[in-house]
This record gives sequence, structure tokens and C-alpha cells, in this order.
Amino acid sequence: MNKDNHPNQERHQLNKLNRRKFFTTIGNGASGLVLLGSLGVTLEYLTPNVLLEIPKVFKVGPIDNIQLDSVIYNPEHRVFVMREKEGYFYAISSVCTHLGCNTNWNPAGDANYPEGIITCPCHGSKFTKKGEVIDGPAPRPLDKFKLYIEDNKLVVNTDEIVDEDEMYLKV
Amino acid sequence: MQIFRKIQMTKIWRSIFRTDLPIKTNLDRSLVIFNSLTLHIQPVKVRERAIKFTYTFYLGMISFFLFVILTVTGILLMLYYQPAIPHAYENMKDLQFVVSNGSFLRNMHRWSAHLMVITVFLHMLRVFFSGAYKPPREFNWVIGVLLLILTLLLGYTGYLLPYDQLSYWAVTVGANIVGYIPLIGKEIRFLLLGGNQIGEYTLIRFYVLHCVILPLFLTLLVALHFWRIRKDGGLN
Repeated sequence: MNKDNHPNQERHQLNKLNRRKFFTTIGNGASGLVLLGSLGVTLEYLTPNVLLEIPKVFKVGPIDNIQLDSVIYNPEHRVFVMREKEGYFYAISSVCTHLGCNTNWNPAGDANYPEGIITCPCHGSKFTKKGEVIDGPAPRPLDKFKLYIEDNKLVVNTDEIVDEDEMYLKV
Repeated sequence: MQIFRKIQMTKIWRSIFRTDLPIKTNLDRSLVIFNSLTLHIQPVKVRERAIKFTYTFYLGMISFFLFVILTVTGILLMLYYQPAIPHAYENMKDLQFVVSNGSFLRNMHRWSAHLMVITVFLHMLRVFFSGAYKPPREFNWVIGVLLLILTLLLGYTGYLLPYDQLSYWAVTVGANIVGYIPLIGKEIRFLLLGGNQIGEYTLIRFYVLHCVILPLFLTLLVALHFWRIRKDGGLN
């Protein structure tokens, strides 16, 4: 059993997987796996499965009671429901796209927008009645929501954000 | 004096303070520091120039003292506070108007928090303008920056706990700033709030961060910060 002394054999021995290296690798690997797994499990734990938040869908109406050229504000869902003079409806979010403050409907408007504007009290963003940015730090227009009619009532789904061409509901 | 000597010779005293008495030489004095768990964070000797008021303005020590005040008042406030809706706001109002000396404690906690942010920032300015961030103290500068961040985070998480309008919207804005982080911003925001908007989960999350996690990290880093002052050769 003197073969270990041979220089070539010794070099060969260094690269070879011996029992000690094998168990060290297995041990380290297992510890790493457990660590990664526990991180994943913790992250999963920190993500709630049930949210105590209000439902995304709500109703407004009946539509016959909503006057032409009016704005209905729902503070719980933070949504403006508008009805234009011509009769069509649309719903836009009151959550400012800058940092999430609550915007206000100003029916008086200003010089350029006499039909009324939406303003944010936090950092001075201004939006048109349709939610387009006029002024301030807001990076994009207010979210627009899909509208349906059900039992003569308007149904707003704040989970369905739509483009401008889909936002109007003609009655 | 005689009684004090006798106490110093008792077994209990000798098992806590293990230095051989009497203390005569500089070596003895340094051994007192070296052999003590609590004192070893202190330098063995300090040059008079370094503790001159006009050099440091004691800003670091004032910040630490404010942190001690915040810990003590904070623990006392916890005894009357439930981090749940609607209790949080009611408890805060009770602390102000019903609990004996509650408003004194709450105000002390609030003002100390404001002052701590100011003194930590001034401390940083002092270190910057006296060049105390330069090698070999660069490591301690980095710890100092982390301590500033922790101080600000403690202020931010504490801000939600009264759960009034100011809290709600300030944290809404803050969480949305977090949301602007590229790629993972939205996920971090969701984990931070425990939902899409501020609610029960947010309150308890901020409470745990404010009362346990952040103070724990801050205490550890403060210990490291003090220890490093000594290791880097005192204050210049």
C-alpha cells in the first residue's frame, strides 16, 4: 500500500473525490438548500393569501337616477363615475398616478378647462375631466375602468383598467 | 471608604469586576477596561483634545442618549397601544387625554425622534467637515450611513402608528416611492404593506419593524460603531 508516494498518483489524489470531500460537498450543499428553502418559505409566509380589502367590483345607480353632466365620487373604491351631457358614462380612478394621493374633483375648473378639472392636493398634479395630465409631476393619466350595465345599474370593476377607446359606455 | 474597600474585596464584587486591586499603574487601568464586557467598547485612554466640546459637539453621544430615551419611552408607550384598526388611533388619543402622564411620554417620544434625526444628521456633517471619514475610519463612516438610514426608517415606520390621516397619506406616498424601484418595486411595496393598500396588515408590519427589527439592527450597529471608534484610534 505504498502507491500514495508516487508523485503522479499524489497529484491525481488531489483532484479525486475522496470520502472527506464527498461528505463536505454533500453537507454544504444540503445546508445551502435548506437556507434557500427557508428564505423562500419565509418570503411566502410574508405574502398574505387573504387580503382584508374591499371588493374590486361595485355598483352605481340605477342609471336613470344619474343626471346628465354629473360626477359621482365613491370614496371607498376611490373612483369617479362621470356622466356626460350626451349621456354616456365613464369611470376613472381618483388615485393620483404620482404617489397615490387622493385627487379631488373641482367643478369650477380653470381658464383653459371650464368643464372642471381633477387636482391632487399632495404635489399639485392636475388632470382633465377625462383623466389626462395637464400639469404637475404625475407621469401618466389616471386609470380608467371598464363599465358594464347590470339590472339597470352601472357596474365598475377596478381590476379592469382599459384604454381611452374602451372607457365609454354609451346608453 | 473602609466599607467600600470591604465590599470591593467580597466574592460577589470580585466575580463581577475581575481586575486585581489596588489599581496603581496604567496597565492596571487598561486591564479594567479590557476585562469588562461593558467597558471594553470604550477606548483605554482618550486624549483631552479629542473630547473637547468644540471638536465633536457631542453629537454622536447626544444621538445615542436620544435613542435611549426613545427606547425607554417607546417601551412604556407599547403598554397602552394595540396595533389594530380602530384601536391604534383610539389608544393614541387615550395616551394623550386619559392615561396619566401619557401625553408627556408620547411627546417625549415624538420630540426625541425629531431631535434624533437632526442630531444624527448634524453628527454626519461634523464628521464630514472635520474629515473624520477618511482612512482608517472609512468603515465606520459606512456604518454611520447605515445608522442614518435606520434612524430615518424608524421615523418612517413610527409615523404610521398613530393611524390618523397624516400617517395614512404619508405612508401611502412613501410606499408608492418604494414602488418606483425598478423590477422589484411593486413586490417590495406589496410585502411592506401586506396588501395593495394600507390596512391591518400594514399596521402590524410597521409596528413589528418599528419596535423589534429596526431597533435590534440599530443597537447592533451602534455597538459596532462605538467599538470601531476605539479600534480606529479614537477621535483623531
